[in-house]
Amino acid sequence: MTAAQSGTRATIISIRDAQLPGSYVEPLLKTEQLWKVYRTGKVEVPALQGVTFEVLPGEFVAVMGPSGCGKSTLLHVIGGLAQATRGRVLVDGNDLSAMSDAERTKLRRHKVGFVFQRFNLLPALDARGNIALAQHIHGNGFDPHRFEVVTRLLGLTGRLHHKPSELSGGEQQRVAIARAIINEPKILLADEPTGSLDTANSTLVLEMLRQLNRDLGQTVVMITHNPEAAAYGNRIVHMRDGVIVDGAPEG
Amino acid sequence: MMREMVLRNVLHRPVRTAVCLLAVAVEVSVVVLVVGLTTGLLTDTARRIEGVGADIMLQPPAASAFIAFSSAPMPMKLREKIAQVRHIAAVAPVLLQFNASGLEIVYGIEPGSFREVSGGFVFHKGHDMEHADDMIVDDVYAATHRVRVGQTYRYLEHDFQVVGIVEHGKGARIFVPIETLQELSATHDKASLFFIRCTRPEHTEAVMEELRGIFPRYEIRPLKEYLSLMTATDLPGLNSFIDSMIALAVCIGFLVIFLSMYTTIMERTRQIGVLKSLGASNGYIAEAILGESATLCLMGSVCGIGLSFLLRALALAKWPNLTILMTPGWILRAVVIALVGGLLGALYPTWLACRKDPVEALAFE
Repeated sequence: MTAAQSGTRATIISIRDAQLPGSYVEPLLKTEQLWKVYRTGKVEVPALQGVTFEVLPGEFVAVMGPSGCGKSTLLHVIGGLAQATRGRVLVDGNDLSAMSDAERTKLRRHKVGFVFQRFNLLPALDARGNIALAQHIHGNGFDPHRFEVVTRLLGLTGRLHHKPSELSGGEQQRVAIARAIINEPKILLADEPTGSLDTANSTLVLEMLRQLNRDLGQTVVMITHNPEAAAYGNRIVHMRDGVIVDGAPEG
Repeated sequence: MMREMVLRNVLHRPVRTAVCLLAVAVEVSVVVLVVGLTTGLLTDTARRIEGVGADIMLQPPAASAFIAFSSAPMPMKLREKIAQVRHIAAVAPVLLQFNASGLEIVYGIEPGSFREVSGGFVFHKGHDMEHADDMIVDDVYAATHRVRVGQTYRYLEHDFQVVGIVEHGKGARIFVPIETLQELSATHDKASLFFIRCTRPEHTEAVMEELRGIFPRYEIRPLKEYLSLMTATDLPGLNSFIDSMIALAVCIGFLVIFLSMYTTIMERTRQIGVLKSLGASNGYIAEAILGESATLCLMGSVCGIGLSFLLRALALAKWPNLTILMTPGWILRAVVIALVGGLLGALYPTWLACRKDPVEALAFE
């Protein structure tokens, strides 16, 4: 760990650590009877069938389940990329189900960070450009201090002027994570972030996510089908056939 | 950042960018050169007609002021009828022949009457035409075609004897006896136009009025300020030609940018999904795509201006008598035309990108 990383850890107090035992904390993410039905011609395919769960600020939740169980759909709906058919999604108190497309776009810009399985970096831009782009879209302009903190934390300092094609998978995913957290989103949504990585790089990326959660208090929801990856979360939610089968908060 | 992204995207696909730049460059140079060629030809012809020194030009009905485009011969005997009008000092019939291989006009003249109307040639070398096969050329033609006095010069499938080299600016660059040209073009006793000199310049209006009474449907034009008449607006056919060329150029730009940006949007579907996941608004995505189109158009325009100068230089090397006027005004207009065509072409792909579903875009292979 670098000196800068240690410094970052020292100055940030984990939200979870700050919670007092027994005190009520408003969930950062809350879904109520969430349904998402896809229509292909006259056939209706329910991907989510009444999902209800919550994520508290500072949690690292791993959502596990077999392929086709609705994990990615859940991530898209709670991230505002897709509209729910029925039910409610509340992100930091904002009801996504009542929002227009433009309003959900704005919410994504300010409160949500995405990390994808296939990194999804823009090939024409170098690592620096990919991260700075998120800052530009956010609208606050380039923040050199935040940029420095994030890139050092993720060990990208020496790789910033390389294009995605010149980076390893692990490095690309770290750039993607940097891009996702550069604007200090309320919640980081990771869709199979280690799905395209070898074991060593998977471990590295998962450690990074755990470090972000632990040191910066970053709320993380990670989709995975890998139990080892899920073990990095401090809560595991299991899904099957569009519903949560265990791990949801009781009551 | 937006500028950097646009520029990086432009440079990321060099072949696509090169094809776009070439197409826009062709578009710009088509506009610049077509307009430059027509206005150049027009201005050059007008200056030389003005330089004849006559007061009035009489042409057959519906003849164009741009005489290179109108042969429409009239009977030579009209000259007697014209000469009877008061205040006319001299009438000179001229037969025009356009030589497509050299892009030049030949004047068939009667040396005597042409001298009376124009005040005569200024000879650099040699003398006026005396025989049927004699030819005189102006100094520009002589220099560019290395023609000298005493030389036998084959022209219009006929062997002429070059007898004089004259100062340029009197109608055409090549002059031959009218009878010879009539024979070569099978237009016996015909003339394309009559140059008329009045006894005094101030009689021009009165003479024109009287001529209009005698020849009601004929084109009778004063040669004073003739240059100002020779604009594309006064030549409806030419105006339509220029408009058609501009429309063609806009179509080229529109289609190329449309195709390029359409395939780009298809190719970058996933990237558009990424931008949407980052919270990029439709306005932001539109700005990126239209910015890229505008950049391609502007870069293409710069190449187009360079290409125009290159093509002009090549054309002038091949046809030294040609005049191609490339004015800053028309260069700017050509750039604007390219920009408008390109942005129109990018509109549909932009709309397509903005309405892409982010989830589907992110799943795009």
